[in-house]
Amino acid sequence: MENNTIMNITGVHKYFPGVHALSDVSLDLQRDEVHAVCGENGAGKSTLMKIIAGVYRPDDGLITLEGQPFVVHEPNEAYRKGIAIIYQESSLFPDMTVLENIFIGHEIRKPVLRGLRSPQMIDYRAMREKANAVFNRLGISVDLDRTVRTIGVATKQMIEIAKALSFDSRILILDEPTAALANREVDALFKTIRSLKSEGVSMLYISHRLDEIFEIADRVTVLRDGKHVATERVAATDRNQLVSWMVGRSLDNLYPKEDVEIGEVIFEAQSVSLRGVLEDISFNARRGEIVGISGLAGSGRTELALSLCGLVPPDSGTIKLNGKAVRIHSYREALEHGIAYVSEDRQVYGLVLPMTLKVNITHKAIRQITNLFSVINRGKEEQIAAEYMHRLAIKAPDSEFVVNKLSGGNQQKVSVAKSLAVEPEVLIVDEPTRGVDVGAKSELHRIISELAKSGKAIIMISSDLPEIIGMCDRTIVLKRGRKMGELLRNEMNQEQILHMAL
Amino acid sequence: MVRIKPTRELSLAVLLAALIIFLSLTTNFNTVSGIYSFLLAASPTIVAAIALAMVIFTGNIDISAGTISGFVAFTTGYLFRAGVPMLLAALAGIVVGVALAGLNGLISVKFRVPSIVVTLAMTMVHIGAYATFLPGSGWVENLGPGFTWFGRGRLLGVIPYAFVVAMLVAVAMMWVAKYTRFGRSLYAVGGNAQAAVYSGINPDRTVIKVFFLEGALLGISAVMRATTRSEIMPSVFIGRELFFIAAALVGGVSIFGGVGKLSGVVLGSALVYLLTVTMIYLGFQDYYQFALQGTIILLAVFISSGDFSRLKRFLRPGTVGGTQ
Repeated sequence: MENNTIMNITGVHKYFPGVHALSDVSLDLQRDEVHAVCGENGAGKSTLMKIIAGVYRPDDGLITLEGQPFVVHEPNEAYRKGIAIIYQESSLFPDMTVLENIFIGHEIRKPVLRGLRSPQMIDYRAMREKANAVFNRLGISVDLDRTVRTIGVATKQMIEIAKALSFDSRILILDEPTAALANREVDALFKTIRSLKSEGVSMLYISHRLDEIFEIADRVTVLRDGKHVATERVAATDRNQLVSWMVGRSLDNLYPKEDVEIGEVIFEAQSVSLRGVLEDISFNARRGEIVGISGLAGSGRTELALSLCGLVPPDSGTIKLNGKAVRIHSYREALEHGIAYVSEDRQVYGLVLPMTLKVNITHKAIRQITNLFSVINRGKEEQIAAEYMHRLAIKAPDSEFVVNKLSGGNQQKVSVAKSLAVEPEVLIVDEPTRGVDVGAKSELHRIISELAKSGKAIIMISSDLPEIIGMCDRTIVLKRGRKMGELLRNEMNQEQILHMAL
Repeated sequence: MVRIKPTRELSLAVLLAALIIFLSLTTNFNTVSGIYSFLLAASPTIVAAIALAMVIFTGNIDISAGTISGFVAFTTGYLFRAGVPMLLAALAGIVVGVALAGLNGLISVKFRVPSIVVTLAMTMVHIGAYATFLPGSGWVENLGPGFTWFGRGRLLGVIPYAFVVAMLVAVAMMWVAKYTRFGRSLYAVGGNAQAAVYSGINPDRTVIKVFFLEGALLGISAVMRATTRSEIMPSVFIGRELFFIAAALVGGVSIFGGVGKLSGVVLGSALVYLLTVTMIYLGFQDYYQFALQGTIILLAVFISSGDFSRLKRFLRPGTVGGTQ
């Protein structure tokens, strides 16, 4: 076993100001192995990967590569030693071509003149040949001169992999590679991973998605709070085991949907249309009810939410609240009528990342904490922030903490808190658990259930079918901007929803 | 396979050609002296706009480019007056440009101050220094033909030496931008600094380097401009950076970094300069010229960007959404 080890990590520590991000973490990677690393957000997965990739340096511990001590000071050094990482956040340059992206930082060069000390210039022809060879190996064809901005997410991922392979890497690190991919695209990625494995590439595969780990990985290592919890062969473990390792407790019910008395209709959309996007959509939501909106990407899910809350007012259609037609032409009006929206993209639309929890939570509810002269009442601000931090169990030292230092799950809770602070009657949540770990997901579900129980109507958009099925009383299925139908809780299953959405 | 794509460079070239045709038909622009003076006047701007463009590629800017040029011109003229051979004096001027621009880069990177702040402050420092530290506030007079041979000289009696140098600089920098690792890293740093780090590029080093390079190019540009006249007054360079930056932006460089082509910048510089010439030919006074030029630059950037979606949204009331 030992001589088959390509990389060995022993007792690695990493400190950040105020945080012990990694504490005595050890891990070994075998040749031709897909080794999954999982853990909740903030467990230290990404930190570990960045240490291997040379972005960070460990404060203590030893890493060996093929028995030799492995020390890198910058990413290119790791690349040159045959280790490539595909980051969670895209590391592509949108305004560059595919070819430029693949070779940025390690362009193939040739001497300007044939001479010993001649300066070097970039050899585009050689790069082109190598890029084509890499794409052939991946079994896809990509126009090398296309600007990356114009390319879809799945192809971008392939370009990142191609970039990694252009270094002739022996170890490939994939950090949440499927986070932005559709199912079909995930299949293609897995095919690539398998073929790379058969060519002798070892992979570290970081993911929240347990199903994927069981499908693709040989072994799995679980991290929790910066510590190594377990390493086990995938075949020798199961889903519940992994979850309990990750959260340190067992999750009995991933979807804590509560039985709630459903009240009268509070929200009603009639024939909502948005030219070219939505066509004649009608539905309603009752107190205590969670209404799902399901559909493929591009079906108009988010656009529907945006029209209902005035962010993109519909071209025609009526919105009724408690039976009365209301005019909602801006988000401000929606808030005044008690409709709040939690964006699918907390980082871009949901939060002001460099600001404190307090400011973020009271952002929408600003009118409740200001006096006649628009001066903020500090006490009220603190009180509202503290209330929602407590209600949503947001893990942060205090309300002065800056939001971008929180984990994804806690950020999402802040994003939800921000909408709750206006005390809406109708809450529209768009992809409430995208990119958060299992523990935070279940907490968010619990929060949503409680809101419904307290008599609010919840409209929940999600591309995660188990989430829709587990959480909703009723779901509307959209396809190309049209409503294909409604399914009640007892009629919902993945096949039925997909059948309508496809 | 030949296909003509409606690129920004193409639309700039067409605009430029249209303006030249207009001028030739309506004025006496289309003469040897007209072309000569246009090329002469445009050359320093071409070089300086390239310098600025390369800084802007990295997402930085140098507001003090105008006042740095003033120091270069003063140094060159002063040393020449003191008996230093012209070539050495020019070289010393360029070294001053490198030092001042390099200092901007170093301060910005080492102390993590945005370059717009550093160079804005530096502009003020420079203007103050003109008046207080330079002998005679930097005025140097009666430099004579030994000084102006470069600025006024022509190749084959028509093409100014300055233009020849500008074209050589342009070709060299286009090559640097496309065929060197440094050139590619400029775009990478400006496009996505984090991703640049992940690609093994050191953004700090790249930014410092580009400021030094900018200084050298500004030096060349300022020597070109200074040697067209027999006297030097550094204060005429105050505000020149507006034209350099405008030329780069008209040429298609994104102020946010990461995007742009130097061929576009050359055309953009020519266009900005041709506008000045047009104003003069049409008989506008100085201040009208400024105002009109500003307006036209705004329009040119807008039109050549080809992005009208914002205008449409602006014109369609009731669809401008609030923030969340």
